[in-house]
Amino acid sequence: MKKTLAVIVVALVAVVALVAAQRKTSPASGGATRASDSHPDLSGTWAYTVALPPLALKRAGNGNTSVKGIDPGRAAAASVKGALPSTPEPPYKPEFLAKVKDLEEHESKTDPVFYCDKPGVPRIGPPRRIVQLANEMIFLYEDMSGDAYRVIPTDGRPHRVDANPSYYGDSVAHWEGDTLVVDARNFVEDTWFGENGYFHSDAMRVIERFWRDGANLVYQATVYDAKVLTAPWTMAPRVVKASTEALEESPKCVESDSKLLVNNDHHIQR
Amino acid sequence: MNFRICRPFVTLVLVFAAIPLFAHHSTTAEFDVAKKVTISGTLTKVDWVNPHIVVFLEAKANGKAEAWKFESNPPAWFRRVGVGRADFSKAIGQMVTVEANRAKDGSQYGYLLKMTYADGTSLELVSGTLADAP
Repeated sequence: MKKTLAVIVVALVAVVALVAAQRKTSPASGGATRASDSHPDLSGTWAYTVALPPLALKRAGNGNTSVKGIDPGRAAAASVKGALPSTPEPPYKPEFLAKVKDLEEHESKTDPVFYCDKPGVPRIGPPRRIVQLANEMIFLYEDMSGDAYRVIPTDGRPHRVDANPSYYGDSVAHWEGDTLVVDARNFVEDTWFGENGYFHSDAMRVIERFWRDGANLVYQATVYDAKVLTAPWTMAPRVVKASTEALEESPKCVESDSKLLVNNDHHIQR
Repeated sequence: MNFRICRPFVTLVLVFAAIPLFAHHSTTAEFDVAKKVTISGTLTKVDWVNPHIVVFLEAKANGKAEAWKFESNPPAWFRRVGVGRADFSKAIGQMVTVEANRAKDGSQYGYLLKMTYADGTSLELVSGTLADAP
């Protein structure tokens, strides 16, 4: 009898442990989810949030008509728990305001992204896919300039000293509570950190914060560049929905419109 | 002659003109949104590229061949409304009719709003997002 009881107890403990282990690594279901190391689980496929035309497609023929629109992939971000205060525009030093205005007014001629160049960080936004490992985060992006990736140590490794400047920089990350804090630096100077002519210097450093808000992923970035800004600039947070849509290689980018533009009308980017 | 400039489709044009066009360039900087052209011709090529897909038509005007190019929304948009390259390329070599806003510089270039295939089926850009699309 004692033996039977012991077997039952052991079996129950095993089941409870199994369920607990599964919960730790289970996908988002509206509540907080944890990876096996107790940090929030950011891994998964996230919605494509680059602004697309707010149009729908109508198919007609053979007596049938259907209309399909797009899901912007973002959830309302009016008030996001854990978000830092943000401002709409970066605080440029007075001597650079004219330059920013000029770049913004002629952005169809001056914006690198317009000509298929890489958007860089933070303009590329949150990744489409996050692979969360014990000592690294892998970020995978879909972008018309080419599908970028970032491999970001989370185990205390320092920034690389031998890395060349790049569009997506050199990043390391750590956890602050339930927020993943990515420190990205060592950028080329070619990118803008936002639409409207937001140029930067080689001193730019970007702190990106990622955390979970239920089933959603929240992304918020702060740009530091003491050479051109009077203070760091924190962007509004983006709340990104989970996605079941598989990643797909982006078709090559071929810019062919610039020669047909007849004025400097503003375009909408990201 | 299969090429004609239609009278403005006021409603559609106004709707389209009011919509900011995503990622690449302003519609009004390149296309005359008050003027819609309808071109019929043979679909010769489909370029599934960013930032805009491009389709090529060989049309005839007054007995002379005219090569037309039409760009449209980005591949990422078409993908998310369930349209792939094959939905266009299946008609290569066949007659199609394209409705578009013509380039302001007067070239044989436009922004594709609708394509109608030889069998009468069509694909068309219309106002609306997921929230209000049936």
